[in-house]
Amino acid sequence: MSEFKPLDPLLHSQLRLAVMSLLLSVEEAEFTFLKEKTESTAGNLSVQLDKLEKAGYIEIEKSFRGKRPLTTCKITGKGIKAFEAYVENLKKYIQ
Amino acid sequence: MEKSLTSNESLAIITEMIAKAKRETVGDGGFQMLLWGWVVAICNFGHYALEKMNYGAPYVVWLLIIPATLVSFIKGYHLSKKAPAKSHLTRVINQLWIVIFVGMIIVLAFMGQLNFHQNPIILILAGIGVFGTGALVQEKIVRFGGVFLLVSAAVSFFLPVTDQYLLSGLAIVVGYLIPGYHIKKKSLERV
Repeated sequence: MSEFKPLDPLLHSQLRLAVMSLLLSVEEAEFTFLKEKTESTAGNLSVQLDKLEKAGYIEIEKSFRGKRPLTTCKITGKGIKAFEAYVENLKKYIQ
Repeated sequence: MEKSLTSNESLAIITEMIAKAKRETVGDGGFQMLLWGWVVAICNFGHYALEKMNYGAPYVVWLLIIPATLVSFIKGYHLSKKAPAKSHLTRVINQLWIVIFVGMIIVLAFMGQLNFHQNPIILILAGIGVFGTGALVQEKIVRFGGVFLLVSAAVSFFLPVTDQYLLSGLAIVVGYLIPGYHIKKKSLERV
């Protein structure tokens, strides 16, 4: 019988899970892309990205495009593993 | 306070976001296929028509490739810079076409050694590119375009060089422009 493990609290949140799902599907994405697709506010998204970065699940790069600041996010190997483990665990709950 | 998620809600978020990312990051709306489709079709038909009219240098029509290459590179560069998200799929498709473009340049550089039977080989390279793109974006019409180009290449080997230009023009219209317009229509439907 499969064992129930608690779901990773970092991923078991609406916005963080949405961000991780988006980043898993692309090579890298700009802050504006994540904001638009998740339909979140800039403030909330920044806070959640910060949490994911601190956990080592994503990398955030800050640069400039012309004179405008540009924030680009990318999922890390640790982030991919955590996401896969989360999905595996989720399957057990659904079964 | 964050809303607690059920397992089904989690699954729905994952599925929805993956679909959104996939939908919005693939391709350029068929721009490159349409640009090259029109340019190469015009050059092929132009070459054929000029040769039939006994014009001394029918190949001048191929000079159109120079501005097309510039437009293609500039537009491609701007699109990749402007894209708010970069996908693996777009990168693979871009690299596939860059390799095919280099292959075509090599074939054209040695067309003398090929006794000017370069058109069937160009069609083979284009067929591989179109079929590969169709497989990557999972569009049957695009894959069909690739198959049509490969079949045309085989037929082309049996034709005299002048007639190869006419067949190549037709092959590009069916194998390149039709898939290009199909991709454009699909990308407009997503907006």
